[in-house]
This record gives sequence, structure tokens and C-alpha cells, in this order.
Amino acid sequence: MKNNNNKSYYFANHFVKSWNAIITVFVLMIILGSCENVLIEEPKSLSAETFYNTAEEVEGGVNAIYLPYQSSFSLADYISIKESFSDYLVGRNTFFNNFQGLSTTNMNRTTGMWNLFYLSIRNANLVIKYAPQGKNISQADIDKYVGEAKFMRAFSYFQLVKNWDGVPLRVETNMLDVDLKRSTAQETYDLIIADLLYAEAKLPETAALSGRPSKYAAKTLLADVYLQTGNYAGSRDKAGDVISSNKYALVPVKTVDDFQKIFGPDVVTTLEEIFYTKGTRQSGLGTPFVMHVNHSNTRFHGAGGWFILYSWSTIPYYTGWDDDDKRKELWYDINMGLVGKTMMNKKFIDPLAPSNSGAGNDIPWYRYADVLMMYAEAEARIGGLTAEAMETLNQVHRRGYGYDTKTSSPVDFKLADYNASSFLDLVVKEYGYEFQLEGKRWSQLKRTGKAAEIILAMKGTAIAQKHYLWPIPISEMNFNKAIDPVKDQNPGY
Amino acid sequence: MAEQAPARMNASFNLESEGGISPSISTLKPLKLMKNNLRRQLIMLSKRLIYAFLIQLFFCSVILANTGNAQLKNIQEVKISMNLQEKSLAQFFKQVESKTDFKFTYTDNLIDLKQAVTVGENDKSLYDVLVAVSMQTNLRFVQVNENIHVKLVTGNKGNSVEVMELQEVTVSGKVIDEGGEPLPGATITVSGTTTGTVTDIEGNYSITVQEGSVLVFSFIGYEPIRVPVDNRSQIDVTLMEDVSSLDEVVVIGYGTVQKSDLTGSVAVVKGEDINSFPSNNVIQALSGRATGVQVLQNNGSPGGNVSVRIRGTNSVQGSNEPLYVVDGFPLSGNPTQLLNNGDIESMQILKDASATAIYGSRGANGVVIITTKRGKSGATKVDVETSYSIQTITKKLDLMNAYEYATLYNEGAVNDGVSPRFTDAQIQSFGKEGTDWQDLIFRKAPMSNTSVNISGGNEKTQFSLSGSVFKQDGIIIGSDYNRYSMRTNLNHDISSKLSVSLSSTLTNIQSNRMNSGGGSRGTELISGILSSPPILKPYTDDGTYTVLGVSPYPFIATVMVNPLNYIYEQTNVLKSNTILTNVAVSYKPVKDLTIKIAGGIENLDERIDRFTTTKFLNSRGIANVRTTQFKSLLSENTVSYNKSFGKHRIDALAGLTYQNFIQTSLEGSGSGFINDISQTYELQAANTLGIPLSSYVQSTLISYLGRLNYSYNDKYLATVSSRYDGASKYSEGNKWGYFPSAALAWKVSEEDFFKNISGISDLKLRAGWGFTGSQAIDAYATLNQLNSSKTVFNDALYTAYAPGTRLPGDLKWETTESMDIGVDIGLLENRLTLTVDYYNKITRDLLNLVQLPSSMGFLTTIQNVGKIQNRGFEIGVDAYILNGDFTWDVNANISFNKNEVLKLYNGQDILGGRVGVTAVNDNVNILREGRPIGQFYGYVEDGYTVEGKIKYRDLNKDGAITNADKTYIGDPNPDFIYGLNSSMTYKNFSFTFFIQGVQGNDIYNVSSINSTLDYGLGLNMPRDVYLNHWTPTNATNAKYPKFAEKSVTLASDRFVENGSFMRLKNIQLAYNVDVKKLGVSLIRNIQLYVSGQNLLTVTKYSWWDPEVNSRGGSNSMDQGFDVTSYPNYKSVTLGIRAGF
Repeated sequence: MKNNNNKSYYFANHFVKSWNAIITVFVLMIILGSCENVLIEEPKSLSAETFYNTAEEVEGGVNAIYLPYQSSFSLADYISIKESFSDYLVGRNTFFNNFQGLSTTNMNRTTGMWNLFYLSIRNANLVIKYAPQGKNISQADIDKYVGEAKFMRAFSYFQLVKNWDGVPLRVETNMLDVDLKRSTAQETYDLIIADLLYAEAKLPETAALSGRPSKYAAKTLLADVYLQTGNYAGSRDKAGDVISSNKYALVPVKTVDDFQKIFGPDVVTTLEEIFYTKGTRQSGLGTPFVMHVNHSNTRFHGAGGWFILYSWSTIPYYTGWDDDDKRKELWYDINMGLVGKTMMNKKFIDPLAPSNSGAGNDIPWYRYADVLMMYAEAEARIGGLTAEAMETLNQVHRRGYGYDTKTSSPVDFKLADYNASSFLDLVVKEYGYEFQLEGKRWSQLKRTGKAAEIILAMKGTAIAQKHYLWPIPISEMNFNKAIDPVKDQNPGY
Repeated sequence: MAEQAPARMNASFNLESEGGISPSISTLKPLKLMKNNLRRQLIMLSKRLIYAFLIQLFFCSVILANTGNAQLKNIQEVKISMNLQEKSLAQFFKQVESKTDFKFTYTDNLIDLKQAVTVGENDKSLYDVLVAVSMQTNLRFVQVNENIHVKLVTGNKGNSVEVMELQEVTVSGKVIDEGGEPLPGATITVSGTTTGTVTDIEGNYSITVQEGSVLVFSFIGYEPIRVPVDNRSQIDVTLMEDVSSLDEVVVIGYGTVQKSDLTGSVAVVKGEDINSFPSNNVIQALSGRATGVQVLQNNGSPGGNVSVRIRGTNSVQGSNEPLYVVDGFPLSGNPTQLLNNGDIESMQILKDASATAIYGSRGANGVVIITTKRGKSGATKVDVETSYSIQTITKKLDLMNAYEYATLYNEGAVNDGVSPRFTDAQIQSFGKEGTDWQDLIFRKAPMSNTSVNISGGNEKTQFSLSGSVFKQDGIIIGSDYNRYSMRTNLNHDISSKLSVSLSSTLTNIQSNRMNSGGGSRGTELISGILSSPPILKPYTDDGTYTVLGVSPYPFIATVMVNPLNYIYEQTNVLKSNTILTNVAVSYKPVKDLTIKIAGGIENLDERIDRFTTTKFLNSRGIANVRTTQFKSLLSENTVSYNKSFGKHRIDALAGLTYQNFIQTSLEGSGSGFINDISQTYELQAANTLGIPLSSYVQSTLISYLGRLNYSYNDKYLATVSSRYDGASKYSEGNKWGYFPSAALAWKVSEEDFFKNISGISDLKLRAGWGFTGSQAIDAYATLNQLNSSKTVFNDALYTAYAPGTRLPGDLKWETTESMDIGVDIGLLENRLTLTVDYYNKITRDLLNLVQLPSSMGFLTTIQNVGKIQNRGFEIGVDAYILNGDFTWDVNANISFNKNEVLKLYNGQDILGGRVGVTAVNDNVNILREGRPIGQFYGYVEDGYTVEGKIKYRDLNKDGAITNADKTYIGDPNPDFIYGLNSSMTYKNFSFTFFIQGVQGNDIYNVSSINSTLDYGLGLNMPRDVYLNHWTPTNATNAKYPKFAEKSVTLASDRFVENGSFMRLKNIQLAYNVDVKKLGVSLIRNIQLYVSGQNLLTVTKYSWWDPEVNSRGGSNSMDQGFDVTSYPNYKSVTLGIRAGF
């Protein structure tokens, strides 16, 4: 193959010539390639490592503790599920509650709530951990913000322990430990109380903004925690502190529409407010729960309504209720296509809400009425029924009828008519009227041990034991190796 | 030398135009195939292919060993003994061939092979034997080297047996192209031998061959030509550019390769297939065209998304979409918003690691290389095509009419113990049919596509300009998709060493979208169409939209929105401009060496306007505008060196590339408007202003790449390639990844021992192995970022900073190791070609979503743990069954893939596929070791209770139905996918049909959950529910439970349906106008056609259409879901294609 030999020679000749060019290009490439610093990421947003240095930054971190509660559909579910457990409301459809434990759908919903509370706890832990390390922040500010974070952490743990019993206790020191055992209820309450005592000491007398806790919010929450744990003296004292501070009062009511001055979407704050989750009339920043308790026919909610919670006008709760009580008038008849006369409640409405997450109402976790009721109960439980206990209960009762709260009225309960035991029944009854739709009733029925009796009387249903606690979510069971999926699960699940 | 018919036919045989014998392939047969019935032979052959192949290979080797070195003998010297009494001529040939090295060649329709001959000679010379046979048969034999050519005796009888000895001659000449330019590097081989040479830089060659040889001239991108040498010493050849078989040259990453030289697994889809029927994007048109490529259409909406999976799903966390490279530019996403189908010259799908490793960290999911049409030197050509289609929904669902609805809900009321929903008088008043909501929303919708392409140029400059308009109205009123596209491709040679090229596209999209899928109980458009009660009229007497969920039928769900609201009172408009421009300068300092410096920009400006009017149910007007700006800059610098010397050929490539990606966005919104006039164009008029949002994301990729192709003697081919990628997305110290690959190929058919095998004209074995990567994470995923958002105090907004719910961690590359073994077989002169591949891919360091206990506040983190395997078979067949007046080509492909999750973090299951349709709220698929990705997971039904409620199987027998009773209930991954294209022409008519199918996949029909089991809320349902629900008298065969409100529904196997389908994707009849007869010299060609798309579908799937993947996208977990999506369409098209 002579031809091909020639070719090879030709190739070799040209190869040398082209070599220079190849080298040149490679040198170029290496120079270009050495600019590896272009691989360093420089996002135009903040990173956790360099945050929490100034008061403003720490406040930004504190604000995030509230985010999971803000405009949360899980929070709406939380309230609605608990209200469907009450003696006066029925959950429609998948919220349907047979008191035999949770349905699959509701079980998934409680997972959402678990996540919500723990997300808030994480954000609180970040502040508690990093704020003291801040480079440019005063000790006073550190105390204030850590106090606020601890209040919120205690608040979330309180929701958890009431519904799940003892839970894994994530604090600033173990927040990234994947496997963490389930603590006992006692341990959980110990943490809650420690956090609240710290918050009580560090929080300001008056919160800078409505929606943030004050010293008195911490006292109120403590009063509730003590009541829950049977420390009635502690509860009475903390509630007493709030009352005697004279910072709070019940908002007077003349007609049923006046309740909108307490719960309405346009209310910014009131004298009655102690600790609320705030909403504003803007999509994604309002209170989704309002969607649950309205019906599109009424136009009480700008985006319609999902009428998840309703009731029947035939239940003893309603039929045995004095017609003069203005709070009874919050109920209205609505035909939902079901047998019997169905009713809904217009405590939470916002006809101008721009979307289902845009109602301007707040979630009233603690208002002055709570404090009065706690005081009444705790006081009566310590040494029997007293005039103070009756007076605080009567203040709430009078307001419900449109009377001045501080002066006696024709509807007052008389001290002579009650003993300690019947007074407690009276407190439970009044509580049901005062806090309808606020998601507090189920906890109270459970705490006072009246749930089985009252539910049987009102709804004709026997409560299964497993119904009192919710299941630890699968997402916790499967991935937290320190929790035994069988042994550590709540009974019945 | 007219008798010089080759014993073994070559692929290019039919190109022999200078030979004296009839060139028609159908008239020539090799000896071993004696019947004319080619089709039967095809079937036979394909059946026994592997057998025959192995046996023949074995025997050939033996023969080779015996005779390989034997000197060629003259027939007078060869002695032979045989005894044939009245046996057929064919048997005589066979005996002689088996006893000697000679082969008979003949034109078989001229020779009667059945005629009887008698030969009883012992130890005679073959010459004498042939003389004897000649006298019996009137045949003439001519020995030419080892061939004995058989001819009929014509004219005067001369010597009936003749021997011709061949002399060596030296032939020289010049090879030029159509434009007269010399073609350096063109290959000249002696047909049937391995002897050959190449042309020099002036296109000259010189070669010494035996007299009577046939020279084959070939050059990449040109049609090879066969020229018998005769007695000539000077043969000049003009090679014509290969237009008939574009697949001769395959575009691979950063270069091209001759298809026969491929070592990797690459499928080629021609532009004409992509453009054969109207479809709204390039990717959709790819469906069913190539092995290993699964195109998943998310829904049927105009401009709707499609997903592509090449050889299965590799990644859990990251994208599983292939990398798209358009004219050398690696796109950030897919080209659906960029390219007009008519601009596509070809698409190459690189499937195995040896082909994709050159794309390194972006190659793991395969690479789709798209080449657009470029100009060719010569007269300026104008091609115009236009088509008009009418689309309708593939199938309407058979829903209850008013009478059935009312009757059923009355039955439900009885079951629920409430008073009847409707009185008899009311039922009477509804009429029998009531409102057909499907008819109110679906329409016959037109689609038109017009494009003009002007191309041409001279030897220095070539250009191609095109403009196109694609307009599709959706089958849902108000939806449309309009694409206006302009494309310019330029090539210019500045000098013989320096050239520049430009590829540039500008595409404008304007689309009104009605994609409001999902939802439940009629809360979104599509579920509204299904659920709206037929008893209600769409409008009230005052002309406003009927509010469905209000009195007089309060049991009807109030969440249900009259679907006309979405149609007429809500808009979602996408406007975008996409620019893709790529400029390259090529410099050839010396022959064989090319330095290419290319730069490109991909730029997308997109604006989405969404508006809900004040007339929409419960709306005070909501406006939202989102704009996105995306920019990718590319710099590519490569050096390539291509050289042949002797039997060696080298193609080497080295390069450095840099690409960066920046995306910014801005979003504004407002709600509460006093009227609908300003829409989204005056956000400041809103009562409540939304919080403005803006974002910035940037990432960079730097790569070094190299590839070496080596071929020896055109028989043995090797490829080694690698890429070293540095990406900003990964953590410090893990930014760089190395992705090597190697492949070998052996052209068995080029071996000497193979020459004796007829039937198999081409055989190549390939094997490849390599690593590729996947950029499975987003930019900044390894950083501890804080997100900002707003919270409320008082009644005002305050800023909050918090981490997300994913805990960041150090991450490195996800790598896929893959192996591919393939064989390419050409049978019967390559009239039947077969490509078979087996592959095995294992993705390691899988970026795996690791679930954290939610008490951490972080729900997940990502870690490099986990392994996924995909393995499978692919078979592609191209058959040219008939040619002549009636031609018939068939291409078929079938691909099998098996996906298995091998390892997950701590063996942890990952739950996915969340279905939240109120009635059911659960995870319905699971990622678990040993199971495929997307495994459907749920409860198993077990008939009905005595009360007619659904009974679920208590699998763990603990007496309760809990999460532990969930099991595997279906698999969205198909067993196999296939496509079949048949194309026939007769005279001026051509008829094609294209069938595409998927077999063995399941669809999770989420749409049917509310539609068939959510009783008591007044939702309309399929008529089947009315006819087939449980009643005390219809308890055993009922398909649905008792019609009562308070029934518990779980995510069960009931909703998992067989999603297999076979679809007549396109059927077309075309008429090519005889332009010459028209006598209009201006017109080159005119084709008129009528076609139909999706006209026939064979499927058991109960809902609108089995081609649905509602949750489709780059993420893989949620495959095979039908969640009330925009349904698919079928269409009839009229079109014309003309060239001037």
C-alpha cells in the first residue's frame, strides 16, 4: 500500500505543525479554568450563620416563631377538630367525629398540627440559642427576645401536651439530634413552667404590639398550665395578678352585633385581648378558620365558606339556654339539606375577606374572660366556693347578657344557690356559652373530667378511651429511632 | 464487465448506476435465498436471527480456516466429483459451491433454477462439468476470479464456458462535490475487500486494483457511489450530498460521527417524522419514535407540559429530564417554548454513558441533540407548508343525565334517612337530559401551522431563514397557544481556514391557559365539569352564573364552583420571548485540526398575568402578575483533530466550556377591584395590595472535556471520553465531578470470514460503559439560607426570617454508572436493519430525601445515599419491505425497562403521591427498597359489607384497618413502550400511519375518587355509578358501594387502573402533485395531505384519556396520576407542503 504510506508521512508532517496550536488552546483553557472562584455561591439572601447579631435581626428571628400559626390551615383544622369534639358543634363530612378515635383523614390533619407546633418550637429554639451570641445586641434586648421565644415555646408545648401527652422535648441544646425520646407529661409541663417563669420575669408589662406576649400573657398562660396540672393556688395567684393589674376589661356588649367589637375582622385590639394570633385582611395573612364556620349562602365570608362546623337547634345545649343571653343569638338557622333544623354561628365573620386565607379576624387564645373563668374555677377548687369566685364568673355572665360587668345584674348567679361542686358545673356550663368556636371547650371538658358525661348527654355518644389522645404522627414514629412505634404510641393507635 | 455482479450484495448496491445489469434490487437475489417472497424471508429471518447468526459465524470461521490461504484456482484446474440425476439447477449450484470455493451469481428472474440437470462426472474439471451443464440448459458460464457468473446464451453460440483473468491496474482521479470543490479525506475502497485509500487535500487519489473491480467512493454526509473500474485508469467522481439518508451522519456531543461508526447507543429521529403531523411541541412529536424514550404528556392542554424519560427514572430528588442541546447549546430546560417543529433537521437521542459522558454532570438522563435546518449551496429553495386541523376531545365521559342524577340522589336520601331530595314534579321539570356541562365547556377547536423556509447559498455562504406561526385553540373554551418563531442559520467561510456560523431563534409565545386542574368536589375547572349537577342550568334567569351550591338544593356542595366562572371570569395568560443565539468561529490552522470558539445566549423573558374578575363566584377581583427573566451564557472552546492514516483513523476532541445561569423574578398582586376593566394592568387600583416578591438565583458550570475515537481498518472502533465538571451548586470540596466512559465496537461484517454470508449485510457489535452525573439539586441547596416572609402584629405586617423545612447538608454529585451492549444488524442489503441494546444503569450517591422526625422542625434533609437501578432491552427495526412502484417502509421500536430502588437511607421508606381530595387524604405511593419508583401503595378492597359499604382487607389481621394494611397496588412504570410507523407510496400517493403504545403501566385515577365515591354532596357522577352501585338486590356484582353519605373511603386499589394503550397517533394520506405535468417550472414539489391524529385508541382506562400524567414534571415520584386534568384531543388535519 504505497499510497497509504505516503499518507502517514503527510500526517506526521502536519501533526507537528498543528501541535503548536493545540498547546496554545490548552494553555488558554487552563488559564480560563483556574478562575474557580466563580464556583463560589453568593446568593442575594441571608444565611443563618451570619444572622442574629443585632436587635433588629433577632426580632426578625422572633417573628418567625409566629409564622407557623400565621394564616395556617392546619391551625384552622386544629380549632375545628377540637370544636367538633365539643358538646355543641358537629364537624361536617370528613370532620365528622364519632368519638371513637380519629378517622384516617383527621389523623393526617393532626400530623399537620404536630408539625406546626414543632416548627414554631424550632424557630423559638434558634432565637434562644443564637440571640445570646449576638455581636451587637444589648442584654436587655436579649432577655426580652429570649423571654418572648420561651413564651412561644411553652405555648406550643402546652398545645402538644394537652393533645398528645408527653412529647419529645426539643430545646436549644438538642434541636438537631435526630433521635429523641418521648418525655413524660410531667417533664413536658416542667419545661413549660420553667419557660413561662422566665418569660414572666423578662417580658415587658405591656407588649409593644398586639400579637406579642406581655408579662401578663405569661401569667395568664401560667394560670392555665397550673389549672391543667392541678396547681390551683398557682393558677388562682397568676390569674389574680392579671385581674389586679387593672390593665384588662371585658368589652361591653349591648346587642349581638357588638360581639364583632371583640371578634370582628376590623378590630385591631381591645382591652379584653391578652394573647391572640393576629390576622389581617389580606390573602395569606388572614385567619383561615373563619372559612370553616361560614356558609356561602350567608355572604358572611367574602370567599364563601366551607361550613365545616354546624349544630342542631334541637340539642339540649341550645334548648336549655336562656333566650336573653346575647351569645345565643350568634346562632342562626341555615338549611344544609340535613334532617332537622341546622344552625351555624356568626361569631367569626368577615364579609370583605378577599380569599379563604384573607379574613381579618384573630384567633383569641387568651382574652380577659379566660382569666376570669380560670380565677373562678381555681379559687373555688382551693377552699370551696367564695364570693370572689362567684363575682368573677358573674362578670363574664353579665357581659353575655349585655349588662355592665362590674355591677350586679338580674341575671347574676347567687352565691347561696351553689356549693363548690355545683359551682364547678356552673363554670363548665358558662364556659361552653362563652367560648363557643374558640377551640377551648374540648380541653376543658377533658381537664374537668366531664367530657364523657356531657358528650353522652348532649350528643348521645360514648367516648372511647383512645379518643382522649391523638396519635404520634407516622412521620415521627418512622424517623425518630428513640421512639418505639408500638410501646410509645398513644393507646388505641 | 456487465457480468460483474457481486456475489455478496452491499448496502450501496442499489446505487450502482453505471453497471450494465438491472439495478433493481427486487430482481436480484443471492443464491441462498431462492424464493421471491421477500416478506416471508424477512419474517423467517427475524425469527431465527440469532441462531442463524451464531451458526453461520461458527461455520464461516471453519471455512475461512480451510480456504483462507488457498490460491485462487482456475476452473480448469479444479477437479470435482458429483452425481446428480435429473436434479434442479439450484441443487447443482449448491453442490458445486459446497465442494469448491466458487460462487455462482446470476439475475434470478432470468434463470430457471428448477430446470433439471444431470451430472455424473467423477474427478472431472469443473470446466468440463460446466460445459456439460451448459449444453443441457442453454446457459453460459463466465468465471471471474472466484465467481462464476451465469447468463442465458443469447445470439450466436460461442464458447459457453469462459475464464477471465484479471490484471492489476492503477486508477487515479479526483473526487469533487456538487459545487466542484475537491473533497479531501473521501474514502475509496475496493468493493468486497478491505483495500482502500483516501483523497488528499486536492481531492486526488490513486489506487492499484484488480481489473474488473468496483470502487466505492464515500464521504461523510455524501451518498456513496459505486463505480466499476472497467479498463479505465482515470476515474473522476462527483459525490452528491446525502439527502435521502440523513442518518448517515449522526450528531453527537461536540461533533458528528458516521452512523456506522457509532460505538454508543444513539437513536435518530428525522425532522420529517417530527413534523409529520401537527403537535404543539417538538418533544410531543418525539413520542414513540425512538427506543428507550418515553414521552409523558402531562395533560392535553395547548402548550401543556411534557416529560421525557430516557431509559427509566434515575433520580429521586433531581430532574429526570434529559439534557436538550439545540445546535450545540445545552438548554437550561426543554425546547417546547423555543422551536417550531418544522425547523428540525434531526433529533439524536444519546442514551448510554459512552454517548452522554461527554455531557458529564448533565448526561445521566440522556441527551437529546436537536439540529435545525441549515442552508446548502445551490439554488435558493423556498419551502412553504401550512396545515389546518380541527380538534375534539378524544372521548366524552358518560355522565349521569338529570333524570338519573335526581333518581340516584333520592335513593341516597332514603339510604341516609333524610327526606327525598327531589319531588316527582321537580324531576319532571329537569327534563331527561338536563345540562350537559361537558358540552358547555368543550368545543371543536381549530389548530393551524404555517411555516416558510428559505434556504440556499453558494460555496462560501449558506443560509436558512424560517418563520412560522403555530396557532392552537384548546378544546376547552378560552384556552389557546400561539407561537411565532423566526429562525436564522448562517454559515460563512471567511477563508479556507476560517469560518463562522450563526444559529439564532426568536420565539414569541402567547397562551391563554385554562389549566385549572386538581381540586375536588368541583372546586376547580376540570373537577367542576365532572361534578356540576345536570339538574342545574348554567345561567340564572337574570343571566348571571348559577351558584350551584345554594338553595333550593342545599345538599349540593357549596364549594362547587359553576365551571363557567373559570371559563369566562378568570384568565391566565402567558407571554414569553425566548432567544437562543449561538455564534461559532472555526479555525483550521492546518488540515485535520479545527479550533472552534463558540459563544451563546439563551434568554427567556416571561410574564404571566392572572386575573379573576369581580363576577367570579365570591370574588372581589384578584390580579397577579409574575415576570421571570432567565439568562444563560455559554462559552465553548474546543479543539478537534480528525485524521486517517493507513488503517487507522483518529477523531480527537478536547474542550473547555463555561456556562452560567441567572434567574430573577418579580411578582406583584392585588385584590379587591371596583371593576374588571384594568385587569392585571393597574395593580395599584387594588383595595388590598399583595406583598411584592422578587428572587435571584445564580449558578455556574465549568467543564473540561475530551474524547478520542479510534478506528482500525474500519472494523474495530473505540471511543474514550470524559468530562470534568465543576458546579457551584455543590458544597465546598465537592464541587468537581469526573465522568469517564469507554466503548468498543466491532464491525463483524467487515471481516473477511463474513464475506461469505449472504443475508446478513451488516453486523456490528457494541459495548460501552461509563459514568454520568445528574445535577439533582437546586442552587444554594447546601447553604443555610433564611427565607423572609411576613407575619402580622396589630394589623400590620412585620418581617420574619427563618430557615425552610429542609435541613441543608454537604452534598456531592449523584453519579450513574451504565453499561450498554448493543448489536446493529443489517439484513438483505440493509433492507431490514435491526438495533438491539441491553443496558444496565445504576445511580449511586443518589441524592436522597431523608425524612426527619417532624419534631425537629425540619421535615427533611438531603443526603448522598441510595441506589437506583434501571435495566432493559430495546429493539429497533427499520424495514424497507417493498420498493419499485409500490414502496413500503416500516419502522418499529419496542423498549423494556425495569426500575428498582436498590438502597435508601437506612432502608427508610419515602412516602409520596399525596392525594388530598377531601374524601381521601393520604399518601398513595411509596419509595421502598426493592420496588420501582412510583410504586402505588394503598389498601386492598374485599367486596362489600352486608350494609353495602366497601370492605378493606385486613392484611396484618389485627382486626382493624390501619396504615399497616397498605400494600403494593400498582406500578406506573410500563412493562414496555412501542411505536410503529408504516409508510407506503404508490405513484403519487403516499399513505402513512403511526401507532404508539404503552403496555403494563397503571394509572392512579384520582379524578374518580370524588366522582365515583364521594356521595351525598350532589356531585354528578359517571352513569356507571347509577347503573352499578350496591343495592340489596345488586350486592354481588356491584362496582360501587351503597349510595349513602357516611361511607369511609380509603386510598385503595379501586382507583388503580390499567393504563396500557395502543393509539393510532397519526394516519395520513398524501398526494404529490405531478409538478412536471403542470408545466410550472417554478414549483419544485407540491404535496397535499389529509391526516388524523389520535383517531383510534385501544385502552381499558375508564377516564378521558390514558395519555395523562397530571403530576408530571422533572421529579419522578408522582408518575401516573390522573388528577382532573385538561383532557386530550384528537384531530383531523388538512395540509399542503410546497417547494419552490
